Amino acid sequence: MKKFSIIFLALILALSLAGTSLAKDTLVVADQYDATTLDPIGHNDYPTSRACSHIYDTLVFLNHDGTLRPGLAEKWEFLTDKDYKMYLRKGVKFHNGDEMTAADVKFSLERANTPAGSHIHTYSQDLDNVEIVDDYTVIIHLKKVNYPFFSSLVHSWGNIVCKKVVEAAGDDYGMNPVGTGPFKFKEWAKGDHYTFERFDDYWGEKAKFKTLIVRSIPEPTNRTIELETGAVDIAYPVTTIELARIEENPELVLQRKVIPSTTYMGFNVHKAPFDNVKVRHAIHALLDTVNIQRAVFRGVGQTPRSLIPAVTKYSINDDLPAHTRNVETAKKLFAEAGVNPATLKFIIRSNERKERIDMATIIQAQLAEVGIQTEIVQQEWGAYLNVLQQKQHDVFLLGWGLSVPDPDYAVAGLLESNAGTNYTTFDDPKLNEMLVKGRSLPDGEERAAVYKEMQLYINEQLPMIYLHNDEAIAGVRKIVKGFEVDPFEVHSFRGVYFEE
Amino acid sequence: MLKYILRRIIMLIPVLLGVAFCVFTLLYFTPGDPARMVLGDLATDEAIKEFRDKEGLNDPFLVQFGNYIWKAVAHGDIGRSYSSKRPVMQEILTAFPYTLKLSAFAMIIAIIIGIPCGIISAIKQYSWFDTITMIFAMIGLSMPVFWLGLLLILFFAVRLRWLPSSGFSTFKAMILPSVALAAQSISMVTRMTRSSMLEVIRADYIRTARAKGQKESIVIGVHALRNALIPVVTLCGLQFGQLLSGAILTESIFAVPGVGRLMVNAIMSRDYPMVQGGVLFIAVTFSIVNLLVDLLYAYIDPRIKAELK
Repeated sequence: MKKFSIIFLALILALSLAGTSLAKDTLVVADQYDATTLDPIGHNDYPTSRACSHIYDTLVFLNHDGTLRPGLAEKWEFLTDKDYKMYLRKGVKFHNGDEMTAADVKFSLERANTPAGSHIHTYSQDLDNVEIVDDYTVIIHLKKVNYPFFSSLVHSWGNIVCKKVVEAAGDDYGMNPVGTGPFKFKEWAKGDHYTFERFDDYWGEKAKFKTLIVRSIPEPTNRTIELETGAVDIAYPVTTIELARIEENPELVLQRKVIPSTTYMGFNVHKAPFDNVKVRHAIHALLDTVNIQRAVFRGVGQTPRSLIPAVTKYSINDDLPAHTRNVETAKKLFAEAGVNPATLKFIIRSNERKERIDMATIIQAQLAEVGIQTEIVQQEWGAYLNVLQQKQHDVFLLGWGLSVPDPDYAVAGLLESNAGTNYTTFDDPKLNEMLVKGRSLPDGEERAAVYKEMQLYINEQLPMIYLHNDEAIAGVRKIVKGFEVDPFEVHSFRGVYFEE
Repeated sequence: MLKYILRRIIMLIPVLLGVAFCVFTLLYFTPGDPARMVLGDLATDEAIKEFRDKEGLNDPFLVQFGNYIWKAVAHGDIGRSYSSKRPVMQEILTAFPYTLKLSAFAMIIAIIIGIPCGIISAIKQYSWFDTITMIFAMIGLSMPVFWLGLLLILFFAVRLRWLPSSGFSTFKAMILPSVALAAQSISMVTRMTRSSMLEVIRADYIRTARAKGQKESIVIGVHALRNALIPVVTLCGLQFGQLLSGAILTESIFAVPGVGRLMVNAIMSRDYPMVQGGVLFIAVTFSIVNLLVDLLYAYIDPRIKAELK
C-alpha cells in the first residue's frame, strides 16, 4: 500500500511537471465553435469567418471604426455607380508560391454566384461579372446600383482564393485551403482545434509569432478556466457571468466593444391589433426597455434607440433620447386606437436563448399591469424559424447582426418587403423607396440624410421595439499585446506579440 | 461458432433498417426546414428551392427513404454533411477515435477499480470497506456527470493546476474526462460484481470447494469469480456500447471532439445526413459490441459455449 502511494505521488508529480512553459512563439486562442469549412464562400458564420480571415485576404480591409482601407487592392475608383475599377497589389504570393493575379480575383468573386456560394448569395447576387483589364487590374461590374456591395467585399465571401488550387481540389477544397493571408494552413483536428503557421512571404506586415492554434471550447466556463490557467492566451466570447472573474484577475485583461447587432421584439404588423401603429406605440410606452436591458444583461451592452446600430455609419442612435416608460401615454394611445388593453391577449415567441426568455418574462409582467394577457412560447431554433416563416405569429423576440458595415444591411434584411428574414411582415412602399435610394448613393452627406430620415421613419412606424445592442467581449492574458477586439467579431491576430 | 457469428451479423440487417427508418421518420417530421438551416437566414428563396431540389427534399417520404438506403447499400454512401460538405462517414471516422479512446480509458478504469472493490465488498460483506464502497458507489451513480466534471475541473485544473481542463490531444488532457465518464460505470460494475459474487458465494459448489480444503484465494478467484462474472461482463459490454455511442455531456464539458459532440452539433444545425449517419453508425457499433460480449460469454462459461455449437 505504501509503495503504491509513493508511485502514485511520483506519477502526479511527473504529470504536474510535464508540459511547463515553452518559449512563447505560439498564440493559443479559444473560440466558441470550430470552423465549418475553410472555403470562404461555403458558410456565413462567425467562427468560420474568423478562421478564413487568417488564411485569406480581401480586396479591401475593414478598420475597427467601420471605414475601409486598401487590402489586396491598392486603390480603387468608381467608374460609374455600377462599375468599380480595382488596382491589385503586385507581387502578392499565395501560400503555394504562385502569384496572385486578376484571374484569381475574377474566379474568387464570380465563384460566389455559383451554387457553392449559396450561403452568401445575399451579398454577391448583384455582381454581374469581373472584367480582367490586365494582370493587376480588374473592373467589377454590378447588375444594378448597389453601394453597400462594395463594403460587403470585406466579408468572408470577398476573400481571394487561388484559382488553380480550387479547381484542382473540387469538393474537398474546404479542407485544404490556400490563400494569401498572414497564416498558412497546417493542420485541422475537426471539432478540436486548427493550427496555422506564419506565412513568411506575406506581402504585408508579417505575424510576430510562428504558430496560431485556435481551439473550439463551447462551454463558456471552460474558456475562462483555460484562460486563467494560461492554457489559452485569448478567449472569445466571454459571457456575462464570467465577466467579474476575468476583471478581478490581475493576469487577465477584459476587452469590450459594442457591436452592430440588435435584439428586438417584433410585431406581426399584418395582424390585428398590431396593424395599428398606435397600439404598437402604446405597447412600447408600457415597456421600460432601458431597465429590462440592464436587468437581463447586467451592464453589458445598451438599449438601442434606432434600428441602425450606434457603431454603424449614419446611425442617429446617440442623438435620440432614451426611451422611458409611461403608462399614462400608453393608456391614452390605446384609447385613441379604440382598443381596450384589458381585452388584449397574445403570444410572445422566442427561441430558447435564456436572455430572451428573461426579457420576455419582464415584458409579460409589465404588460400585465394594464391587463394585457400574454403567453410566452419558447421553441427550439429550427421550429421557431418555421413558425415565423408562416407569418401567423403575434409578437416575437429575435436578433440581427451586421457582418458588413453598411446601414443598408441593418434595415433591408428586416424590413424590406421581399426580404426572407422580414418577420414583422412590414411592407411599406415609402421605406422600400428609401432603401433603394440609400443603396444608389455614394457615401456622403446626401446618403447620410437618407438614412437619418429612414431611422426616424422606422421609429415612427415602430414595427419592432429595440431591446438590446450587444458587445464583443474577449478575455486576454496580460502578456498578450497588440490585440484589439474587433467590433465586427472577425478578430485579427496579425499584430499580436508577447511581452513577458 | 462461425455459423453463430454469421447468423448474428445477418440479424444486424433488419435492426439497422429499423433504426434507419425510425431516425429518418423522426427527422422528417421534425419542424424546421433543413434547407433554411443549411443556407442560413440570408439565403434567397431561389437558393432554398435549388437546394431542396438538389437534395431531393421535395420527394415523397418513402422515395427519400428508399434513395437513402439504396445509396448506402449500393455505394456505401451515407451522404455528405450539409455544414462541412464532407462525406458523413469521413466526419464520423475523424471523431470516432476520440470517443473510442475516451470510452476505452473509462472502461479500463471502471474494470480496474470496480471489480476488485466489488469482490472485496462481497467477501467482507457489511465490513467498513463494504459500507464505504457502497456509499461511494451510490454517490458515483447518482452524481450527474456534468457536475462531477465541473468539480474535477475546479479542483484539478483551477486549484491545483495539475491537469488541463479541456481538449483531448495529450495523455494529461485525457485523464479528467475519462475519470468523469468512468464514475458511473465504476459504481455500476462494483455493485454488480458485489451482488453477483454474494449470490455465488452462497452456492453449494463453493461450500464443496471449501470443504475439500481448497485455498480461499482459489475458491474466490476461480470458483466464485468465474461464475459471478457473467452478469458483470454483460454490464460492461452494455456500458461500453453506451460510452461508445458518444458521451455527449462529458464530451461537451471537456471539449472532446468525439462522436457525441459531433451529433449534438449536427442536431443543432439540422444537418440531416450527419444525424442519420451518426445514429446508424452508433447502432452498428452497439450491435458489434453486443456481439463481442456474447462471444466473450462462451469463453467465460463453458455451458454457453456448448450451446453455441
